[in-house]
Amino acid sequence: MNATHRALILALVPFALGLATALLLRAISDGLPIVRLRADLGTWLALLGGLLSLVALTGVVVWAAAGRRLDRVLTEARQAQAEAHRRFLRQLDHELKNPLTAIRVGLANLAGTPPGEARDRTLAGVEGQVGRLSKLAADLRKLADLETRPLERTAVDLNELLREAVALAQQRPEGEGRGIALTLPQAPWPLPQVRSDRDLLFLAVYNLLDNALKFTRPGDTIEVRAIEDGRIVTVEVADTGPGIPKDELPHIFKELYRGQGARRTEGSGLGLALVRAIVERHGGTVTVRSREGEGTVFTLHLPLD
Amino acid sequence: MVSQPKILLVDDEEAITSNLAPFLERAGFTAEVAGDGEEALGRVADFAPDLIVLDVLMPRLDGREVCRRLWTAGNWTPIIMLTQVGSPAERAMSLEEGADDYLNKPFDPYELVARIRAVLRRARPGVPPLSAARRLACGPLVLDRPARRALLTGRELPLTPKAVAVLDYLMTHPDEVISRERLLDAVWGWDYPTGTRAVDARIAELRRALGDDATEPRYIETVPGQGYRFVGTVEAVP
Repeated sequence: MNATHRALILALVPFALGLATALLLRAISDGLPIVRLRADLGTWLALLGGLLSLVALTGVVVWAAAGRRLDRVLTEARQAQAEAHRRFLRQLDHELKNPLTAIRVGLANLAGTPPGEARDRTLAGVEGQVGRLSKLAADLRKLADLETRPLERTAVDLNELLREAVALAQQRPEGEGRGIALTLPQAPWPLPQVRSDRDLLFLAVYNLLDNALKFTRPGDTIEVRAIEDGRIVTVEVADTGPGIPKDELPHIFKELYRGQGARRTEGSGLGLALVRAIVERHGGTVTVRSREGEGTVFTLHLPLD
Repeated sequence: MVSQPKILLVDDEEAITSNLAPFLERAGFTAEVAGDGEEALGRVADFAPDLIVLDVLMPRLDGREVCRRLWTAGNWTPIIMLTQVGSPAERAMSLEEGADDYLNKPFDPYELVARIRAVLRRARPGVPPLSAARRLACGPLVLDRPARRALLTGRELPLTPKAVAVLDYLMTHPDEVISRERLLDAVWGWDYPTGTRAVDARIAELRRALGDDATEPRYIETVPGQGYRFVGTVEAVP
């Protein structure tokens, strides 16, 4: 507020100066009639000062209003960030609880189980849960690393990258009974090379394919297609899976978020957050469209240099 | 009868050492535990371990400082560093500080045993490890480690930073079969769905730059189903 007061006073300075000069000149001209012309100059100066002050006053008012608006936006952003932080901690707590409970139960069980098949089963179960926690820790680190990790950009052949990602996804046991169709432009020319970190970009595309495989059933269709318009390459991963409810769509890129349909699915809950972080580090965007009962399509936009 | 190698395990997390020490004993080592860096320096003197497994993040005296003090005192006991964060910066630093090997937490205890054996096989008592050298040479190939560049007969090779890091890991572990997973862990610090492809691409890049023939390798040999091995003789050069 103090700053605003100071600015108001400063804004009035040109008018005050103009007026003072005018009065001074008037006094001189009255005393010395020879310089009558100067009196007109004084009037002009007073007017000019007034005009400048008016402009400055308008500026101050606009500036103060903008400041208030900025304050409001910043406060809202801070609140949203705090809320996202709390939500993340709640979800992390939730993600840790289940495997930890399974491990405790498994260990309690082990203490009373003689060596044999039942004991081996319990041990395998505990190891599986430890694997789940390790995967979560590894993905959390990836997300944290992504912000600061230097990108190793090289000229990446997207045609080859997409072919390889599809081939790798098709080898997965979940891929059984689902065809993955890949459509790449040939005419008038194939996709250009994209300056990007190949390992990261591959991870982003693969995570989308991995999701498509997880949420579809045998008989469903998965399509991967790409086009470019000279400025942007668009890659789509589409499926005829169950689709995502409308109210969940705005949240699916958030860390550890799990929709109703994803509660029982394996995974760290960080796959899509990683996709978004990778694409954004490359100056691109990722969006999603989905219809319940029809399917889902994820779209990556990557800028060409 | 050959005596069992002595391992000093240094970690402030008792939950880890209380299980890891017996595990190492069962794997055929004599294991002792130190709870922090100060204690570790004392135990190095009286226990005289053949190898130290050293956690980086510890109160009082961290793993890096322990490493530096040992070397300043001219003690070249091999060290396997346990890194916590696993960020690229941390890996680069443990490279420069030249631990014989390093492992990201959470690690697989069997992998630790495998690395202990590999380091013990390679270590020559009282001689600084290759990983402590600033420059390594194999014939006309010179690796300038602080500058992170490789030269072949004096000419700098056009290599990506990752390829140099892969070459660094292979050259500091010569004659040892390195799995792709281990290279990923050591150089990338991440697991990738296409781990093998990411590693193979860098190896291909290195071979192209080095003019190395995969069927008759002078530098990097492919060990089918297992990984890669640096076959040339590596020495530290001034």
